[in-house]
Amino acid sequence: MTKVFFGSSERELMEYCVETAELTKNYDKVAVVDHVSFEVRSGEVFGFLGPNGAGKTTTIKMLTTLLKPTTGHASVLGFDIVSESSKIRRLIGVVQQEPSYEMALSVEGNLDLYGFLWNVPKKERRDKIELLLDKFGLKDARKTKPQELSVGQRRRLQVAREFMHDSELMFLDEPTTGLDPQARRITLDFVREKVESGTTVFFTTHIMEEAEYICDRIAIINNGRILALDTIDNIKRKFGGVSVIHLRVADGKGGLNLKLEKLAGIERIAYPSGEDEPLKVYAKDADAVLSRIIDIITSSGLHVEELRIKEPSLDDVFVQMINSKGDTSNE
Amino acid sequence: MNSFIRLLYRDLKAGIWSTKSMLVMQLVSPLFYIFVAGFAYTAVIPTSNIGNGKINYELYLAPGIIVMQIMFAASIAGAMLWIDKRLEMFSQILMGPFSRWQYILSKVVSIMLQGMLNAFLVFLIASPLLVGLSVSPLGLVYIVASLILGSLFFGSLTLAISVFIKSNESFNAVLNVMFTPLMFLSSVYYPLTSAPIAIRILSLANPLTYAADMLRAGLLGIYVPLLPLEIIALTVVSLGSFVAATIAFRRVKA
Repeated sequence: MTKVFFGSSERELMEYCVETAELTKNYDKVAVVDHVSFEVRSGEVFGFLGPNGAGKTTTIKMLTTLLKPTTGHASVLGFDIVSESSKIRRLIGVVQQEPSYEMALSVEGNLDLYGFLWNVPKKERRDKIELLLDKFGLKDARKTKPQELSVGQRRRLQVAREFMHDSELMFLDEPTTGLDPQARRITLDFVREKVESGTTVFFTTHIMEEAEYICDRIAIINNGRILALDTIDNIKRKFGGVSVIHLRVADGKGGLNLKLEKLAGIERIAYPSGEDEPLKVYAKDADAVLSRIIDIITSSGLHVEELRIKEPSLDDVFVQMINSKGDTSNE
Repeated sequence: MNSFIRLLYRDLKAGIWSTKSMLVMQLVSPLFYIFVAGFAYTAVIPTSNIGNGKINYELYLAPGIIVMQIMFAASIAGAMLWIDKRLEMFSQILMGPFSRWQYILSKVVSIMLQGMLNAFLVFLIASPLLVGLSVSPLGLVYIVASLILGSLFFGSLTLAISVFIKSNESFNAVLNVMFTPLMFLSSVYYPLTSAPIAIRILSLANPLTYAADMLRAGLLGIYVPLLPLEIIALTVVSLGSFVAATIAFRRVKA
């Protein structure tokens, strides 16, 4: 087994950072997390995606030892989340979904105290503070107290703070909430850098673009149950189902629409609400439908402005899965 | 460095230091008690009989006011928990390399240190009254023990209460309601020897009485007859309240 240096200690690199088996959390007999089983591989960014109230944060709270599971088991970095919780907490970092900071201290003071809490030596703290202030665009606000910062700056402080100490595994619970696109990109890139230097990341979000940008594998959770778990491409392939054909013609739309509606293999048609929008044809076998559409256009002598197949985005797949309910499939 | 020491440092830096304006305000009322009420009542109550001796009322009052500072300082312990919960620092810390036990111990010890600092400042304020008094080594033990045990008791008590109360506003209201009888049903303001029997009995069940009598014994060399029992009782209730607070703290959801 490969060995990695983590801080001053040496630990064996394991295949899975997180392993859960039938992990369940009930509140008042209602399962918030319902028999969830999955693994997170060492060195990957594992996305845990789901709508609000899906069970993402409760799962994180169990894995970070804040909550005890009702039933089921889980291990984090090889340690049991119930019986070896203190060993886990020394090795992980957590950015909570809720805002969290020291109200009385400046940005710099917050970073320094957090590093001190994690027993980071003074010289290392100073260096890290400078690096993080720079990376997260907080240099000008270093002497400012959190209540005087914008929501986005406070969030950046909270995320930056967690990088004051080394973690083998980081739990990032919707870390980009409240950030503008540029700050979001900087944050995600910094997380990627950390992953390349050996940190594993457990990342929750309901912004699918973020997941596509940063995650190696994802699990989609809804109502406490995992609906899918795989790479993003595989999930799109398995669960995407319907592709969309975008079509815009210069004139003769009325006649075309009538012909399209009679076409075999079409799931549904979405008519444009504005002049610049294309007509959208949803079909399972988009290639076959596209060739039939081309036949119609050719025979009608229409002038085509746009005709292309758009593969379903993760957003499309996500919405489709959440709306279809129940149909669960685990890797 | 030990996890507890790091948490204690955090409490002192981010918690207590942030409430420094509150600390200063807490020193205003003792000033009035000692130099205005103390001198005014001395005209009415020239000397007070306490166990083995008689002293002027302003000298009698000063140790009681110092001990009361510990009680007021302890109210900050509960407030610190509320602030930590509101700003999610409570859960953040419990997801770090710390235990609940270390968290509560750091709160109690930081409150103890703050209570002692407050008491020391009031002691300085009252020092013109205390000129000429000599404190024996045993007296010094009484002084330190009364401050430590008093802080431990009131710090643990307020932390335990904060666990069961759902809002910061309710917490402050409960403390106000609780502190008033504790202050007046004690030996802080008047000697119990001449108090009505009902007040005497209730006051003798009040840990504030024990702490005030211990401090008086240490500072002034004047002992109430029940002092040995009071020392034992204060030790027991202080440790008991700390254990109770630790158990209650397990209920707090992070």
